[in-house]
Amino acid sequence: MPSADLTDLTPVPAPEVKRRGRGRTIGVLVVLALAVLALLSQGLLHSLNYFETIDQAMAARAKLGTTTIRLEGVVKPHSIDRTSSGASFWMTGGHGQEVFVNAHGSPPQLFQADIPVVVEGHFTSATSNDFYGTQILVKHTASYIAAHPKRVKAPNGSTR
Amino acid sequence: MIKTLSQRLLGPVTLVLLVLTFWLGLWVTPPDKIQGNLARMLYVHPAIAWVALYVSFGTAAIASALYLWQRTRSVVMDRVAYCAMEVSTVFIILTLITGSIWGRPTWGVWWAWDARLTSTAILGLFELAYLALRRANDDPELRARRCAVFAIIAAINVPIIHFSVDWWNTLHQGATVFTENGNLLVHGIMLWTLFISLFAFTLLFFWLLRARYRVEVLRAARYDVALDEALAQRRREGVR
Repeated sequence: MPSADLTDLTPVPAPEVKRRGRGRTIGVLVVLALAVLALLSQGLLHSLNYFETIDQAMAARAKLGTTTIRLEGVVKPHSIDRTSSGASFWMTGGHGQEVFVNAHGSPPQLFQADIPVVVEGHFTSATSNDFYGTQILVKHTASYIAAHPKRVKAPNGSTR
Repeated sequence: MIKTLSQRLLGPVTLVLLVLTFWLGLWVTPPDKIQGNLARMLYVHPAIAWVALYVSFGTAAIASALYLWQRTRSVVMDRVAYCAMEVSTVFIILTLITGSIWGRPTWGVWWAWDARLTSTAILGLFELAYLALRRANDDPELRARRCAVFAIIAAINVPIIHFSVDWWNTLHQGATVFTENGNLLVHGIMLWTLFISLFAFTLLFFWLLRARYRVEVLRAARYDVALDEALAQRRREGVR
């Protein structure tokens, strides 16, 4: 037991409380703030528009040159040619402009004629309207329609 | 009487509606013309996102605003905001997971850096930051005020998420129900199943919120008891 003057009532400063929990939480907040900034720079500030439509790309064709972009259009019916390395097809824009796409890599499950797609890649030359794609993404619409709306149910439960 | 009855029925009704949603979604509704059976995610993903963005985050933001308003300030509002934010965080994570599960076979990728997905992920990080902020201060009033202000600032992101598909070119589809011209883009039993799923998951949120709120009240009560016990213990040590 240390000897102390028990009559000395001079106020003494309180011992410093270690706030490790608070420091850790502030650390977490800083990491989250950095993550938000990273997401903003990666996703939104870089490209608010995820793709260029064919009309937008054609309007800025000279400026685009052969830079890598994502190009959106609708797959022209009866134009798909599946190759060993991917698929080639014609893509149509809103005002009827067409771009020939030669894409490498396997297309998604829903890839088919008359469906909107986004192709990542570049035009083959500064003046050409042929597009070389490295990835095909399907941009499905917001409509949901029954596959067989007129299918009738037989009394035994089977459909025809 | 009515309050007690509704509290007792909330759980069973939620369960029945969830079972009904899954039964209709998996067995009764037809496959979609384009997406086939993948469209059955329509009865899960939008409902979870609806709860995450609008119902639970909306509850948290409104409770935060009511806390900041002097006339309605109470510990109840602070607790509701905190509990709703916790539930919303779970639903945001589920939104991102179910979206990825749907996106991989339809789009062809698990994730795309488009405006809808990125802004939703940012809201998820805001919610984690809110939960971290709850733990960053020991003073209950200061903590509640700071968190309420933060929740309202974070709420700015919700309209950005909602309108992102209209404002920018996104891989994520546009609105199916809340369309600009009011036309519904889903029909028949598919539409009814979608509405039932929205209602079922909304009730699930309120059931979870109620349970979480009760835990929070018990925790607060336990904190007071623990404090009294600690003081009594110290007094006993002093006597010895």
